[in-house]
Order: sequence, then structure tokens, then C-alpha cells
Amino acid sequence: MAEEQNVVMERPEPHEIIAPGYTFSSITDQIASVVQTKRTPPFWFLGFGLGLALLGVFAISTTLLFILGPGIWGLRTPVMWGFAITNFVWWIGIGHAGTLISAILLLLNQKWRNSINRFAEAMTLFAVACAGMFPILHLGRPWLAFWLFPYPDTMGIEPNFRSPLVWDVFAVSTYATISAVFWFVGLIPDLATLRDRAGNKIARVIYGLLAMGWRGSAKHWSVYETASLLLAGLATPLVLSVHTVVSFDFTVAIVPGWHSTFFPPYFVAGAIYSGFAMVLVLAIPLRSVYGLEGLITDKHLDNCGKVMLATGLIVAYAYILEAFTGWYSGNIFEAAAIHHRMTGPYMSSYWSLVACNIIAPQLLWFKRIRNTPALLFLSSMVVLCGMWLERFVIIVSSLAQDFVTSSWGIFHATRWDWGVFLGTIGLFLTLFFLFIRGLPMISIFEVRTLLPHAKVDKEVAE
Amino acid sequence: MTAQTSVDFRVSDGLRSDLGRWRTRALIVGVIGMLAMAAGLLVFHQPFQFYQSYLWAFLFVLGLAVGPLAWLMLQYLTGGAWGVVIRRPAEAAARTLPLVLVLFLPIIIGIPNLYPWAHPAVVAADRVLTHQAPYLNYRFFLLRALVYFFGWMFLSYYFNRWSLVEDRDGPAKAHGKMSFLAGPGVIFWSLSVTFMSIDWVLSLHSQWFSTMFGLLFMVGQGLTSMAFLIALLVALQARAPMSQVLTKRHFHDLGKLMFALTMVWAYFSYSQFLIIWTGNLPEEIPWYLSRTNGGWGYIAMGLVLFHFALPFSLLLSRDLKRNAKLLRNVAIFVLFMRMVDLFWQVTPYFYGSAFHLSWMDIAAPAGLIGIWLAYFFIQLEKRPLMPLHEPNLEEALNHGRE
Repeated sequence: MAEEQNVVMERPEPHEIIAPGYTFSSITDQIASVVQTKRTPPFWFLGFGLGLALLGVFAISTTLLFILGPGIWGLRTPVMWGFAITNFVWWIGIGHAGTLISAILLLLNQKWRNSINRFAEAMTLFAVACAGMFPILHLGRPWLAFWLFPYPDTMGIEPNFRSPLVWDVFAVSTYATISAVFWFVGLIPDLATLRDRAGNKIARVIYGLLAMGWRGSAKHWSVYETASLLLAGLATPLVLSVHTVVSFDFTVAIVPGWHSTFFPPYFVAGAIYSGFAMVLVLAIPLRSVYGLEGLITDKHLDNCGKVMLATGLIVAYAYILEAFTGWYSGNIFEAAAIHHRMTGPYMSSYWSLVACNIIAPQLLWFKRIRNTPALLFLSSMVVLCGMWLERFVIIVSSLAQDFVTSSWGIFHATRWDWGVFLGTIGLFLTLFFLFIRGLPMISIFEVRTLLPHAKVDKEVAE
Repeated sequence: MTAQTSVDFRVSDGLRSDLGRWRTRALIVGVIGMLAMAAGLLVFHQPFQFYQSYLWAFLFVLGLAVGPLAWLMLQYLTGGAWGVVIRRPAEAAARTLPLVLVLFLPIIIGIPNLYPWAHPAVVAADRVLTHQAPYLNYRFFLLRALVYFFGWMFLSYYFNRWSLVEDRDGPAKAHGKMSFLAGPGVIFWSLSVTFMSIDWVLSLHSQWFSTMFGLLFMVGQGLTSMAFLIALLVALQARAPMSQVLTKRHFHDLGKLMFALTMVWAYFSYSQFLIIWTGNLPEEIPWYLSRTNGGWGYIAMGLVLFHFALPFSLLLSRDLKRNAKLLRNVAIFVLFMRMVDLFWQVTPYFYGSAFHLSWMDIAAPAGLIGIWLAYFFIQLEKRPLMPLHEPNLEEALNHGRE
């Protein structure tokens, strides 16, 4: 691979990616000083406080859930998959952008990823943690969650391997494992930097332990490069496979509105769509509070906006085809499912999601919108809402009105549905704010390779 | 690090005589194939077989002409060096669209032989066909075909025109013009290929529908055209100017794209299969039953092994992607498998699970591809083989030479 790296170094891109005037030490200073400072900005306390408050809501809601059971949610026959599965799909989708940025863009030599991959990977990890909560909470007896694994038990009971719900267990746990390892391996050189800069002894010991004896020798770097490429190779199929398996949860059932063959790529596109929206929602305030506009530049926001537009258009393609199929197939149940979505009890959700996911993001065609952080932030929030609504409409509307009219029933979310959902947002915020306080949110050593000086040695060596 | 901007990109005399020779050969094969097809229709009176074989062979040629449009537009959208070397061949392929439109005429004539919705009595007896009648009828079918061809030809005209302007006046205005239309162009391409696949293939049977179908055709066109462009570049590499342009690195990049599309094709095909197979619904499963039983089962297995497993394992190798000759062999094999895939998709519509291969299934692709290739070589000769003022030209020329 060494030869390919040379080629990348020759490209003129780096000048545009980060602002001019940076040096190796100023990059390190700027990123590390966010962590290694005695002064924590009020913004951090605000965000962390909000996270903790919502985490409290999570604690109360789940305690009540464990005592009383999932009946405190709005789940009633026939809608037995309500908020829990919606939130699961939504959160796990958000994680996908982090993996795409860290793995696929690494393999594609997209250097602009270097400023955003670290916190996007952290986002993935925390989003997967939030997602993982829901299937377990939804079990009713969450203390028996280990039944999902095919462990050797005396009763000879095994999970049903023909069910995509079991595939989910493997897909999501693999995904969480690889994401965590990838994130941690990528952190090691930076942890060593923090260790070397740490002022007090305790911090030095902690960062030192985490840095696993990294000395930055050529040997270390060579092993590191190989490891990160291998991990990227392992993580790449996961970007597709996890949400593909999630989509199988629906398509394998023959419920009208769920059984559609293009769900796998459509779910993956939707996942990346919402994931990039979340990246922007996090990046835009962070860079302005910590003055990181030189590292996370308008160019990054512009690129993320373009990815959002592209994936949003794929999602739009799916809606168009879904509606067309509903009519063209001549299947009365498919047609009814689409009809119910558009005109039935969930029509307000449906049309809101169309507005949020298809109509509003068309503004991203304009460079001026993509280059105005406030507007980009706003459209990202709209997309996050839209994607949540999309999952909600797919899951609930198909269950509420299926084949037999007599078995129809409408889902009403209770305050505990909302409590658990908001609670996981709290969990996410708490973890994320702890992360930006304790670890470098931008990869120091990878951003340093973007500097024009970084390629001097290579040219001299020619 | 020497940028070779002094290379003359015009077709060299040696290459011109090569192209002339290839054109003659293609034309001979094409004319023989077409004569055989004409004999099938007029002498042996097998109109059904004629149109059935013609349809799938035409779909393959359509991929050769329409697929490159997508590569062109993607290149304007994403930039980078990989697309510069295929720009001129892709533009030339898109310029063959008027010929492809002419080649489409037999299908219009053959509508009653191919499509059940063309027969009022059949439509009246079939609930689904009656339901679909507002969409599937002569007038609207022709109107849509007109829209697809108009759109594709407009995109071809637009990108070729501004590419010419760019050669003459530099990229200042032209490149912006091309980037501007690339986004909407890709949207049109996706929708047109999707509805084209519904109109021309899916409507061969009223009951079956799969939302993945359009996506599979898009990937199919992308794969067909990329494999073709790779094979072509290797052939062009023997002579100036491309012998001074192409490096291992270019083939590596294009090989990666072919590799990625091979995987995407498998991913889409497998997802469609798994979902329909587990669902096992009476209106869906017959499509796969007829294509996995009888002789078709072997073809289906062959697709798994040779459309996916073999190219996948071969293209994993970095050395193979950087070896032009080997990569060309894989590309030609992929092109062959693309034909098998189309043949496997289309033919069982008419014969169910009974395997059926007619001599016209060999004559039709020979005729159509031969004629198309001959016209393509004429188009390819007309312009320099590299864009003269492409903003990424320098980068593309230095690609893999550092």
C-alpha cells in the first residue's frame, strides 16, 4: 500500500481541506487544549447537564418499565412494535455515517474525512449503545436477554436461526465490537500525545495506560497503518450489512408495506442520510464553540451536505417507487397499505416525513445553503425528525392496518414511550459530552498529515 | 514528476488503421448476425423467437450506450482522476444513441409478439392487466420510450457539445456547464432506467413485481459499461496516444469500480432473492421458480458462481487489477456473464421453467453488438482520445507515475 499513499500525498487537495497557516504544533495545541485545560466552557456544562437530565428521565422510565412491564408503553395488539423498534432502527442508522466516514472514506483515500472521523466514530459507538437498549428493553424480561445468543444450555434450546431478529443480534454485536476496536485503535497515537502533554500525574497514568506503550516508532506506525486498513476492510461490509439485516426484520415478513425487495439498499441509504445529519448537528455547534473552524471547515460542511442530498434523493426514489408499486402491482393489500399511509390515521406523520425528507432537503442543492452553517444545522435537524418519522410510519402504519379489517388498531404513544426515547437522547448526549471533555474529538495525527509540510519528505525521497 | 502535457492526444495513424480493422471485423459479424436474424424472421417465419432474442440482446447494447452516460455524470459530480481516461470513450459510446434508437424500432414493431398487454382480449380477461391498462398501453408505452430516448440523447448531445467547447476554449465555462447538469442528469438517468426496465422487461408478465428491479438494471448497465470501457482501454493501450497515458494505476482504479459493482450486483440480486424466497407469496415466487428449475437452475447457479464468485475472487487481487491483460480478460468474461444474466431474466418469461436456447439467441447479440461496435469505432475516431483542457488532466496524467 505504500505506493498508493505516495500518490495520495501528491494530490493538491490538502490545501483546501483545512485552513492555511496551521503547523504541526498548532494543530496539536488546538485539539489537545480542548481536553487539557482547567477551564471548561459553559456550553459543555449546558450540553452535559441536558444530557444528564434526560438520562434521569431514562432511569425513571426504565425503572418503571422493569417493574410494570412493556404495558406502560402504547403497545397493544396489533401494534406490538411501536417506539422501541422505531428508535432502534433510527439510532442504529445514525451510527452508519460514522462507519462510512471512518472506513469507506479511508479506503477511498478521501482525505477530508480526517477532521471529522474521530467524533463521527464516537457518535457511532454511542448511537449503537442507544440502539442496543431497545430490543432488550422490548423483551419484557430483559434479564433473559442472553437467550438471544446460541449458548450451550442444558435444555437444548437454540434461537430460531431463520428469524432475522436473531441475525440482528449478530449483526449489531459485530458492528458494536468492530466500531469500538476501530475507534480505540485510531485513538492510540493521540492518547500517547495526550500522555506526553499531560500536566498532572493521574492524567499521565490514565492516558499512558490507554496509549498501550505507543512511542511513535516507525515500526509502530507501520503496524498501525496495516491494522487500521484491515479494520477498515472489516468495517466496510458492516456499513451495508447491519442495516440490510435490520431491513430484513421487515421484508421477510409478508406484511403489506414491509415486504418490498429494495428495502435493504433503501434502509442503508436512509441510515447514511440520518447519520450525516447527526454529524452536522454535532459538528456545527462544536466547531463554533471551540473555534475549530480552521479544522472542520466550510468545505467539510459542504461535503456532508452533498452526501445528505445524494442519500436523500435515494430515499426519495424509494418513496416514488413504493407509491408506484402500490398501484402498479395490482395487489389490493399493497395498494391499501400505501393508501392508508397517505390518507389514513397516520397521514400527518406520512406527509410530515415527505416534507422533512424529500421536500426540505432540496434546498441543499444551493451552495449558499450548504455554506451557511445555521441553515445547514436546521436542515439536518429536519432530516433527523424526518427519518425518525419514516421509521415510525413504516413500522406502525403497516401493523395497525394489515389484512383483516377486524384486527385493525391504532397505536397511541404514552408518556413512557417518549420518556425512554428522550432518555436515550440523554444517554447519547451524556456519553458524547464526556467524550469531548476527556478525549481529542478530532484526530490529531491524521489532521497533521493534511498539512502541506507533511508531504515534503516524500518528495525529497523521490 | 514530469507532467506529459506535450502528448498529442489525437488518434495516431497506427491506431487509426487498428480502429479501421476492428470496425470492419465488427461490421462483418454484425451484418452476418443481422442477416441471420432477418432470415429467422422472413425465411423461417419465427417472429416470436426473433423478438424474444432481439429484446435481451438489445437490452445489453442499450447498457453499452446508456451506462457510460452515468459514468460521465458521476465524474463531473465527484471529480478526481479516475474518470478522465474513460471520458472520451464514454462520450463516443453515448453518441451511438441515435443508432440505438433505430435498433429499438423492431421492438416497437414486435410489441404484440412480446407483451401481453398489447392484446385487448387478454387484458379484458386479466384483472391485473385491466388495472394496469392506464400505464401499459400502446400510446403511453411509446410516449415513455420517446421520453427516455429524448432524455438520453439530450444528455449525450449536451455533454459532447460542452466537451468539444472545452477542448477549444478551455474549461472556464464548459466544465461548469457540465457539472451543472450532472446532478439532474443522474436523477433522470436513474428514473429513466428504472421505468425502462419496468416497461420493457417487467411488463412481459403482469403479475410479478419487485421494487429492486430498477436498481438491478442500473447496476447492470454500470457494470456492463465499465467492463466494456476497461476492455476497450486495454485494446487502445497498444498504440499512441493512450500508450503514453495509461498507467497501472488507472487500471487499478477502474478495476476497483468493476469489483465494487460486481459486489453491488450480488448484494441486490441476493436481497431480492432472499426476500421473495422467504415470503413465498403466490404472486412473487413463480418468477424464481421458473428461473431456478429445469435447465434454468443451472444458469442460475452459473450466475452465482461466474457472475459473482469468480470475478469477485479474481478482482480481490491487487496485482490482477494492475495487470491490464488479465483485467481485460476478466472484463470480457464479465461482459459475457452480463449477457447470460439478461438472457436468464428475459427468456423464462416466454418459456417458464423449460430451458430454451435458440440459434437466434446467438445471432441476435452478434448482429446487434457487431453493428453497434462498428458505429462506436467511427465515433471514437472523431475526437482526441483525451479531453485537452480537463481540469483534472494533469492529475490524471501523473496518476501512477510519481
